[in-house]
Amino acid sequence: MRFFLFSDEVFEFIKVFLIIVEIFFGAYLVGYSTFLFIAVVTGSSSLYRKRQQDRLKSTILKDHYIPISIIVPAYNEDVTIVENVRSLLTLDYPLYEIIVVDDGSKDETSAKLIEAFDMLPIRRPIQQKIKCQPMEFVYEATTRKVPLTLIRKKNGGKADSLNMGINACKYPYFICIDADSVLQSDSLSKIVKPVLENENVVAVGGAIRPSNSVEIKNGKVINYRLPRNILACMQVLEYDRSFLASRILFDKYNGSMIISGAFGLFKKETVIMAGGYDATTMGEDMELVVKLHDFCVSNDLPYLIRYATDAICWSQVPESIKDLSKQRRRWHIGLFQSMWKHRVMLANPKFGLISFISYFYFLIYELLSPFIEIFGILCMVLAFLVDLINVPFMLLFFAIYALFGSVMSMTAFFARTQTIDLKLTLRDVLKALLLCTIEICALRFVLAWVRATAFIGYRKRKLNWGRIERKKINLE
Amino acid sequence: MKIEILVYAYLAVCLAMIAFNIVCIFLFSRNDREIESHRLYFVSLIRAQFFRDEIEESHRKMLIKRLQKVREMMSFDKSLEILSKDHPDEVREYLRKLDNVFITLNNMYSHKNEVQFAYFPYIISRYNLFKGEDLPQINACLFQLLQKPSVYSRENALNALYSIGISKNVAEALKVLDKTGFYHHKKLITDGLLTFSGDKHELNECLWDNLPQYSLNVQLAILDYFRFSSDKYQERMFKLLNEQHNCEIHYCAIRYLGRYPYQPAYDKLIYYAENEDDMHWEYASISCFALASYPGNRTVAVLKNKLCSHNWYVRLNASQSLEQLGLEYADFVDIYEGHDRYAGEMIRYRFDHKKLSEKGAASI
Repeated sequence: MRFFLFSDEVFEFIKVFLIIVEIFFGAYLVGYSTFLFIAVVTGSSSLYRKRQQDRLKSTILKDHYIPISIIVPAYNEDVTIVENVRSLLTLDYPLYEIIVVDDGSKDETSAKLIEAFDMLPIRRPIQQKIKCQPMEFVYEATTRKVPLTLIRKKNGGKADSLNMGINACKYPYFICIDADSVLQSDSLSKIVKPVLENENVVAVGGAIRPSNSVEIKNGKVINYRLPRNILACMQVLEYDRSFLASRILFDKYNGSMIISGAFGLFKKETVIMAGGYDATTMGEDMELVVKLHDFCVSNDLPYLIRYATDAICWSQVPESIKDLSKQRRRWHIGLFQSMWKHRVMLANPKFGLISFISYFYFLIYELLSPFIEIFGILCMVLAFLVDLINVPFMLLFFAIYALFGSVMSMTAFFARTQTIDLKLTLRDVLKALLLCTIEICALRFVLAWVRATAFIGYRKRKLNWGRIERKKINLE
Repeated sequence: MKIEILVYAYLAVCLAMIAFNIVCIFLFSRNDREIESHRLYFVSLIRAQFFRDEIEESHRKMLIKRLQKVREMMSFDKSLEILSKDHPDEVREYLRKLDNVFITLNNMYSHKNEVQFAYFPYIISRYNLFKGEDLPQINACLFQLLQKPSVYSRENALNALYSIGISKNVAEALKVLDKTGFYHHKKLITDGLLTFSGDKHELNECLWDNLPQYSLNVQLAILDYFRFSSDKYQERMFKLLNEQHNCEIHYCAIRYLGRYPYQPAYDKLIYYAENEDDMHWEYASISCFALASYPGNRTVAVLKNKLCSHNWYVRLNASQSLEQLGLEYADFVDIYEGHDRYAGEMIRYRFDHKKLSEKGAASI
């Protein structure tokens, strides 16, 4: 039954329009499901192979250490900063330094660090290899085996703080980590492995896992459960799908376009040559990686950007829809800015598969997907109103889509068992089974709306840190 | 083709993947239990052999039969690991008597897939099998593994050669490695050579003799190895410095001469430090660092002058060397009062840092 009566011309036009939409969505769905399918299968089998190799000691067993500087940008982090630095000081790695950059915090971030680690003021000359806001003071701690430096600078954003950290660090490779994250004790030795495997590696991404409900002792997980909070739990499934699947696929052809700001290793020299972090974008982590691709390809430099599946960083994920929306809005704007800034990579044969697979994937299935999904829903409404829709078939198709998404999530979720350190309980499996469907059917659409509306009022929030509520880290 | 059919096909594969992962969970846990029970079995069998003059033939046969399976080898590995804690000498002696068994097994493992093949060299280096023995069959297999694309396989093969400890084989292995064209990080080579268990002097001579035949990457690794292993090569390093070589080789030689001072090299180091070249500022920077081992007024004068270099790293290394030479705050009044603020800041930081470290050390 038609709800509206149109003239024949209008009805014909709507009909043609809906046929075109149908073809478009057919292609869109085939593309997405094919990508997800290949990613999940590749990721899962790669993890299985890696586990087999580790069991048979086909790995670098001795301690071949490459000195590393850890940069911790911090803004109003007085709740977590001391625990975070304390955990960094106990990492199982002999040669590294920690540089905390306080981006002009309004709370007690610097004071708490100075007090907790008996830090003393020093006038330290820092070479400005990358432009950043001026420093206000420097403190150093000399009572520990790991050198600890605190630099307080004028507020300029996270990217600006990271640039200051790069200027101050003394080792050839640096790691950036978030102030609310905890590294597993072996994560540094795992993340440098790709550098030992190939001299052209300029960046390595670590695996981020939600730390809500995880107990960590001396850098090792002693108790792991899926979070009690439903939202956090759904993000665990989402992270598994993203980190254990698609990033492994991108890694196969040097096509990673993102290394999470929560944990990544970079070759200092290359980052400086490329100009460091862009302080004008919201997604500085993605922008840097896309910039490295652009810079190295444009200058004919051999390079590799790798992903270390076993270098684990535990990071807090938002537990309220408000915080999650805030975070996703930032990510989406950051994605847009990075892709727009490096649009030269679009359909450019010079960039090879990064251009034709990674860039297209991020453009269509990440950047434009919320608009496409909302457009799809509106078209369904229109088709329903003009009685051009087969409702039972639509419901069946939606059910297939939900089932497919859930199966993908579960495949990635089970693949985690190949990463040795985690054991699954029946309760967690059942919980994951239930929540992966809810994630596909509900959360995905909520987040699509959040991302689609991300640009409203973004100029006002352009350079703020996009804070989410912090909780004390559960370190025994 | 209807889209839903494609999606159904994908679904089927993914469900198979889930099933595969679930089966893996059970298989891995069953394997772990099996390895553990076999470990206990091996421990009792091995213990029984400890106090015999010769290993029983039946025990040898049993080992050859069972250890062909990788899982059994893993159990054997674990049992040796446990026994080595309380009976290291007995385990060593037991393994020494089993050389023939391992030669047979080595041959069998060389026909397995790469990951399993690479497990055997791991066992060789883990338990120092064939130490000091130059066995062609073993060498052939290890050299074969060195030509594999996986860095892990190559590392396992090299580690086995270091633990066996025959100098000429290690020197030859590095040539084989070069021929493959695969990149092998120089740090892996340097650190590996430091674990060599045979006659180190013989190895060093062998590496020196073959040095020109290696690729630049391997040469740099070997020169770094010399820096950490012996002070006997000042003269030869100085000679390298005076010959036409890649600048990276020169940097290695300068670093060596900084660690082990050699008076005839002094003028050359001073020359490099003084004659800073924008294209090759590394010569000046590394020489400033090396001069910390050559005390004297001339050194101090040159380093003080380099505090005003326009290159950050030259200034940094000069300040560090001046501090190491035992100079005090008062010795730098001319710098603090001079026109170069950056030079003053650099040296002041060096001394403030030293003071802070002393304060820190006192508070511990």
